[in-house]
Amino acid sequence: MSVLSVEDLHVWFELPNDKELHAVQGISFELERGERLGLVGESGCGKTTAILAMMGLLPPTASAAGRIFLDGEDILAGGDDTMRPHRWTDIAMVFQGAMNAFDPVKTIGSQIQEPIEKAGLAEGKAARLRTAELLELVGIAGSRQDRYPHEFSGGMRQRAAIAMAIACEPKILLADEPTTALDVMVQAQILELLVQLTDDLGLAMIMVTHDLPLVSQVCNRAAVMYAGMIAETGTTAELYHHPLHPYTRMLFSATPDLLANHEIRSISGTPPRLDVAIEGCPFAPRCDSAIAACSTTPPPLRTAGPDHRAYCHVEVTK
Amino acid sequence: MSTLDASFEPVAEARKPRSRTRALLRFLREHPQAAIGAFVLLFFVLIAIFGPWIAPYGEREKVGPLFGTPSGAHPLGLDDGGIDMLSLLIYGARVTLIVGFAGAVVAMLVGGSIGILAGYFGGKIDNALMRVTDYFLVLPDLVLMIVVASIWGRSLRNIIIIIGLIYWTFMARLIRAQVKVVRERAYVKRAQALGASHTRIIFKHVIPQIAPLLLAQTVLMVALAIFLETAISFLGLGDPSVTSWGKMISSAFERSAISYGAWWAIAPPGIAVALVIMAFNMLGTAAEDSLNPRLKVSHLSRRHFRLRPLPDKEAPR
Amino acid sequence: MGAGWSYVGRRTLFALITIFVAISLNFVLFRLAPGDRTSALRCQSCTKEFKQQLRADYGLDKSVPEQYWIYLKQTSQGDFGRSFVTEQPVINELWEPIKNTTPMILLGTILSIMLGVTTGVIAAWRRGTLTDKTTVWGGLLFYSLPTQWLALMLILYLAGPLNLPTSDIADPYLAYNNPGAWNEALDRFKHMILPAATIGLVLFGEYTLIVRSSMLEALGEDYILTARAKGLSNWEIVRKHALRNSMLPIVTLIFLSLGFILGGTILIETVFNYPGIGLQIYQSVGERDYPMLQGAFLLLTVVVILMNFIADLLYFKLDPRVTE
Repeated sequence: MSVLSVEDLHVWFELPNDKELHAVQGISFELERGERLGLVGESGCGKTTAILAMMGLLPPTASAAGRIFLDGEDILAGGDDTMRPHRWTDIAMVFQGAMNAFDPVKTIGSQIQEPIEKAGLAEGKAARLRTAELLELVGIAGSRQDRYPHEFSGGMRQRAAIAMAIACEPKILLADEPTTALDVMVQAQILELLVQLTDDLGLAMIMVTHDLPLVSQVCNRAAVMYAGMIAETGTTAELYHHPLHPYTRMLFSATPDLLANHEIRSISGTPPRLDVAIEGCPFAPRCDSAIAACSTTPPPLRTAGPDHRAYCHVEVTK
Repeated sequence: MSTLDASFEPVAEARKPRSRTRALLRFLREHPQAAIGAFVLLFFVLIAIFGPWIAPYGEREKVGPLFGTPSGAHPLGLDDGGIDMLSLLIYGARVTLIVGFAGAVVAMLVGGSIGILAGYFGGKIDNALMRVTDYFLVLPDLVLMIVVASIWGRSLRNIIIIIGLIYWTFMARLIRAQVKVVRERAYVKRAQALGASHTRIIFKHVIPQIAPLLLAQTVLMVALAIFLETAISFLGLGDPSVTSWGKMISSAFERSAISYGAWWAIAPPGIAVALVIMAFNMLGTAAEDSLNPRLKVSHLSRRHFRLRPLPDKEAPR
Repeated sequence: MGAGWSYVGRRTLFALITIFVAISLNFVLFRLAPGDRTSALRCQSCTKEFKQQLRADYGLDKSVPEQYWIYLKQTSQGDFGRSFVTEQPVINELWEPIKNTTPMILLGTILSIMLGVTTGVIAAWRRGTLTDKTTVWGGLLFYSLPTQWLALMLILYLAGPLNLPTSDIADPYLAYNNPGAWNEALDRFKHMILPAATIGLVLFGEYTLIVRSSMLEALGEDYILTARAKGLSNWEIVRKHALRNSMLPIVTLIFLSLGFILGGTILIETVFNYPGIGLQIYQSVGERDYPMLQGAFLLLTVVVILMNFIADLLYFKLDPRVTE
């Protein structure tokens, strides 16, 4: 059984003029133990909302539908009440820009100890010890736990955030753009750390990013999101070499690849508005392979392998 | 970070107001307290302008005994000189509002200039100016005002000048911060690269950009100036030859209105002042809010997100 | 920590310089007032001998820089001149009023803090609800009321029903009945209530609005979302993270609003005839007792500067980010 299974998840946000933003429009995917799944897409495609929903961290203006199975149990069924018990102990998150994820007036150590003590895993001195161990795991000296967040560099803060995330030994780690706003050298270190930790501790990870080369390096599989829906899912190799969906293909070719020879083409146009219902395939206006059906009927499911799926009208030729 | 904002932004379109009046009306609609404030202010300004024509009695016309009680002819009673309170209130509006506006304008001019100079030129000029500002900022305002007023003498002009001299510090700091931001903007750098003179840049680029905030701050400053005028008048340092609401409160107190139980001599001017100050504050804070929108959504709430049933769709995805 | 001391050092230097500026400003305002040098004293009821004494003391026949030097020397020795009215040293005359004002201000400030912080936090927590809106409007209202007017209103409408005294600092007839220390203290306290309540209400308006917006700002920060993700309950988050962060600006604000409080005190003590430093200033203005005014101004200014200094130090202590 997969450790996380999302079925037809929808998220809406209330808008001021009595309208609604349909931010996540029925996504489904599975996450296996020890697997690293990338969640890719342009900004605004709903990927961040999706993972926030997995922890129930939505604002009161939001509503959700669908099912989220954690080890077989539907944790979305009771709303915040069924979500809260699993926070951090089963699913934890490393936020984008962990720079600000720490309370500036408390020490890093105390903030890592907080969830440990809250979950009852350890108290007082034992918690301090555990915090020091966690910091060592991510490459920070344990003695630095009594320092304040502003005394850490950006990269070190991100590491500390990772240490904090694994503090309660969760099954799943959600990482939201963990390396944006870090410089290249540090990015590589963080990614290495994430890979190493997930392998060593048997964690499953979902990494949200808009950075495709990253996905190829770090993740086993990826799901490509567009306008609140998943366009294609598959292994990173499949997505890169044999994409089924034009969006996937155009995305990857928009990425400069030093070793390949093809031209760089960016995708013109902008994503559609999510506060009105969309007819047909949301990508149709910008798609280079669109046919008449694309603007009128929702695209059907196509598969090309045990786990390689896409929703598209157009048959892809190699 | 704003992981939540990311899901909002690109897809809900921003509406661009097509004209200034449209923008103004929208502002008033979105900030009802600004609308109320503006309405109240308009009311009092009209009273101030048309005062002499609408006041039922004269400003120094004795029509009855001291602290005469309210009656049909005199709905707000009479003051310590037997003069109709309602008329006094109307006449007083003029002086109070004029002093408020004028004082705020002086503060705005002095403070604004210093702020612009400090923010635009930066470096040593900035340091020097800000040092001076900081020293002035620390001095207690009313006390300083009392001291200066008692030395320079009691006149309307002095009060206006004093208000300006004491409050320029607030303006200076704020404007300086804004100017620093504007100075870094692309078009300013471009103008500098093209060799435009400092004066030209300041007047053509910087000032238009900071004008809205300057205006909002000046509005708030008027409230402060009126507050001060009432305090100064109360302590006997106001201009003895004019009627202002502050002076009315002062006279009532000095002539023991309380022992007479003459609430009508005390309450109305105070309420009028409070209304006007509140109106300015409401306008000013609403203007400031809309110029510096802090869209920070609280991450905590007593309520939580709702669950709802799946939408009907032919092909579940 | 080396870095820490440089911050403290700089703030101390700033405070000292500001005090010096205030002292010099005092000199400029009073001793250099326009007109004939002797009329700078503008003493209407002084005897000729007294005026001559003053002329000698202040060195009015000397040059301005020399006068300045004399003034600095005298000030550093605590010699603020002599009152025109009582001909006693100013510094002696100021002592009693200060003793009277201080507890009253303290009481008022405590009241306003308690009221302001509670309502501000509640309003922020219940943002958008009726409670919030009422608090904001209420705060705005109290913030806009002229202090002296509020004092008068309290006298008119509260003093009677609550049976509270409305003037002076103590009941002049109480002493005759041999009341004992407790009753005397109680009597004093009763006389302090209305003035302190006025201060409290005047300040509370501003505090409420600021506490609320500071709290709202804190609640929108990323670390709050992190805390929520870590499974903490709303109350735990407010208690452990939001409060501490939002209180930082508030603590410093409290010390910085002393300037405002002093102004209010002058008005309040005038209305209540409460013999504190505020009333003293009012009377000195009326009596044209310039040395007293000058001494009071200098004293109050120095107190405000000190309070600002304390605010700086507190900020340093409470916020670990302040080190440069």
